[in-house]
Amino acid sequence: MLDPGPGVVSPPPNEPSRAGPENLLVCLSPSPFAIPLIRTTQRLAAAQGAKWFALYVETPAHDRLSPENQELVAQALYLAAKLGGQAVKVSGFRIGDEILAFARENQVSKIFVGKPFKRRWRRFLGISLVDHLIWNCGSIDIFVVSGEGEEARPAARPKAKPRQLLRQYLLAAGGVGLCTGLAWALFPHLALRNLVMVYLLVVVIISSFLDRGPALFSSLFSVAAFAFFFVPEYYSFSMPNTEYALTLVVMLLVSTLVSGLTTRVRHQARAARRQERQTAALYEMSQNLTAINSLEELLAVAAEQISRIFDSQVTILMPDVEGKLIIRAGQPFSEDDVREGMVARWVFKHGHLAGAGTGTLSAVKGIYLPLIASHHVIGVLRLETAEPDRLLAADSLRLLEALSGQVSLAIERENLSRQAQVAQFQIEAERMRNALLSSVSHDLRTPLTVIAGSASSLVEGEENLDSATKQELAQGIYEEARRLDRLVHNLLEMSRLQSGEAKFNKEWHVLEEVIGCALAQLDSQLRHHPVSINLPPDLPLVKIDDLLMERVVINLLENSMKYTPPGTAIEISGEIQNQEILVTLADRGPGLPVGKEELVFEKFYQVAPGSARGAGLGLTICRSIIEAHGGRIWAANRPEGGAIFSFSIPMAEGAPILDKNLPEIEKEPGDEADHPAD
Amino acid sequence: MKPIILLIEDDPHIRRFLRASLLTQGYELLEAGTGREGLAMAAARVPEVVLLDLGLPDMEGMEVIHQLRAWSSVSIIILSARGQERDKVANLDAGADDYLTKPFGVGELLARIRVALRKAMPAEEGKPEAMYSLGNIKVDFERRLVFRGEEEVHLTPIEYKLLSVLLKHRGKVVTHRQLLKEVWGPSYVEQNPYLRIFILNLRRKLEEDPTRPQYLLTEPGVGYRLRDD
Repeated sequence: MLDPGPGVVSPPPNEPSRAGPENLLVCLSPSPFAIPLIRTTQRLAAAQGAKWFALYVETPAHDRLSPENQELVAQALYLAAKLGGQAVKVSGFRIGDEILAFARENQVSKIFVGKPFKRRWRRFLGISLVDHLIWNCGSIDIFVVSGEGEEARPAARPKAKPRQLLRQYLLAAGGVGLCTGLAWALFPHLALRNLVMVYLLVVVIISSFLDRGPALFSSLFSVAAFAFFFVPEYYSFSMPNTEYALTLVVMLLVSTLVSGLTTRVRHQARAARRQERQTAALYEMSQNLTAINSLEELLAVAAEQISRIFDSQVTILMPDVEGKLIIRAGQPFSEDDVREGMVARWVFKHGHLAGAGTGTLSAVKGIYLPLIASHHVIGVLRLETAEPDRLLAADSLRLLEALSGQVSLAIERENLSRQAQVAQFQIEAERMRNALLSSVSHDLRTPLTVIAGSASSLVEGEENLDSATKQELAQGIYEEARRLDRLVHNLLEMSRLQSGEAKFNKEWHVLEEVIGCALAQLDSQLRHHPVSINLPPDLPLVKIDDLLMERVVINLLENSMKYTPPGTAIEISGEIQNQEILVTLADRGPGLPVGKEELVFEKFYQVAPGSARGAGLGLTICRSIIEAHGGRIWAANRPEGGAIFSFSIPMAEGAPILDKNLPEIEKEPGDEADHPAD
Repeated sequence: MKPIILLIEDDPHIRRFLRASLLTQGYELLEAGTGREGLAMAAARVPEVVLLDLGLPDMEGMEVIHQLRAWSSVSIIILSARGQERDKVANLDAGADDYLTKPFGVGELLARIRVALRKAMPAEEGKPEAMYSLGNIKVDFERRLVFRGEEEVHLTPIEYKLLSVLLKHRGKVVTHRQLLKEVWGPSYVEQNPYLRIFILNLRRKLEEDPTRPQYLLTEPGVGYRLRDD
């Protein structure tokens, strides 16, 4: 279950009605009874294998609920989501209609509601929710579940502070008073019905700024004032004319209706604004998290953003390899209080919100939320703020849970992608190992066969062999051994380069010298291939690792020797091109397969597998080395036949000058050792 | 009297192959499998040349060189694997005379030993040579002249000095550091690029094909060697 938490605020998309399991719906109210109600529904749904929804209808009244009751709703929705139901929250005014509309949209066949405990007078009026549902449900079954004697009344929200309320009533009264004054001034000029308009206008203005109580008060008060001052008999409430009475009744109805509507609009606007803010926060979070590729960065960004949204100190804890919770991102918190760690571990273990301001383990400073992904808790989000209650208000808690859900998803995604990477890497490594083994075993065995065969011939055929044959066999052994040595060296060099262990020891070198060293190393093999070298005498010094660059030239030469018939020439030349030194090595062999010129630099690639010797590593090593020098290496076919390998080395700044008239470095005084024999 | 060579090497196969080659060449061979054993033998028998493997089981090669050098000026030739250029340079600067990279041929080994033995013969070193010739190159030390074939080659003073230092150590590797110190002075030991440029110029003056030098050989990553035969 990727727990979306109660953060799911929109109804699920309509799913086509499926034959078979029916859908259950449990209606939640802000009461502790919601929890057992959910559990009952879950049990029934599980027994029937049915899908179930937990629905809460958020009415304007929701705002007036106490934080405890809002928390109850949030907890109930959270529990529902955790138990496998779909937690849904919709906004509306008429709870019963919303429930039925939702039920019809989602093919719900059974609705569970708690036993109502409406205030007596409302029950007396016969407008209980259950009655409404029963009258209007049509084919849906309604189950009323008893609350095991729980008659816990939803605690009313503590009234707005009395002083504030008093101020609002005074404002309302003042407004009506002002209006009366205005009406008094206009009275001689206006008809009575137009004065009513003035009053209605004031009621609208008042109710668009004040709470419902003062708004209602203003409408009543204005009717009274109007009746007292402007309806004959003046200065009394007695009315000689029934027409006036009718005017007053209409005025009363219209003004209460208007004040009610206005407050409702305000509520909706506020809710919309809040939704918008939350959506924006969620959107921003998801935008930020998708752009990140490392877990550390992801956690840091998430912690920073949550901390900004909730104006609190945020820490993300995740288990280390030993399963111990450690701080992975965000602000470290004082661990003086061992209980902090205990709460974190408890939340990690149970996957349930706990800490300051919540109903569970609240004696600590931090609020702890589980980060849940794929059915298990992967970490804990900790928030520390001066006002935990504000943060745990249903709205912000819902947002917080939605955000933590996003973080969990992002972490999960990151983990999965890392696992995929590791798997990919392992497959690649395995493939490489196999290729290496098969290629190396072939390449090791060939020279070993020659060596073992020649040596045993020498040992056993001591008398029968003439000295020329012996010489030939011994020469063969020597050459094959040298070949093996180079192969082993290449393998070691390859693994050094691949593992990043190779340290480049770059110095200013004379290219001519480096090429000369490579030629010297291959002296005996090169006797069948005349090599011509054409380097401009004023080629500047290059900053390279001479041993590695020598390896490049050796490997290129070996490659050419391997694939070209004996007696064909190899030409090495160098020139300066676009601030780069370009070295080419051209042969007169069969050339490269057209279109495969790049492939020869791939690991283990051989133009004709098994036909020639070499592990197929030489050119790969060349490429690694040249690229580490900031250069490029490529191969092409010569128009006149044969292959041409080129590599470039960027010319570095500050090369020591290669000048014929190089100033002689001053001799140290007193240094007279200039005779070889002294 | 046969020259004595001490071989400090832990691998029995390499010892066997060296024994076969060296005994037939008329050397007396002492064999030690560890650094300690080798040091004890060096003290007891006073060899002319020490062949020292760098991968000994009990001691670092460097340590063996230090201990030997504390009391002996015996020629030390290091046997090392490829890719250990830094180690080689460090050991050479610590007092080793030359090195051989494994795998090596017997020819190379014998050439190194001959050079090392020449150093051990004080009689030859006593009288300054007046003339030296190598292939078609002749050096007249008296008149400080260098000839290639019959033609005189003009060398700058530094080039002449570079050549003479290499000649002094001919057949033996000379590290960059050592060359710079002996030719330019102690404060120039880091100036490898200058050395390279001078070597290049020297080659262009002395070698037939400077790219494939016959006399002034490069020891990659270590230094230079003047061929000796």
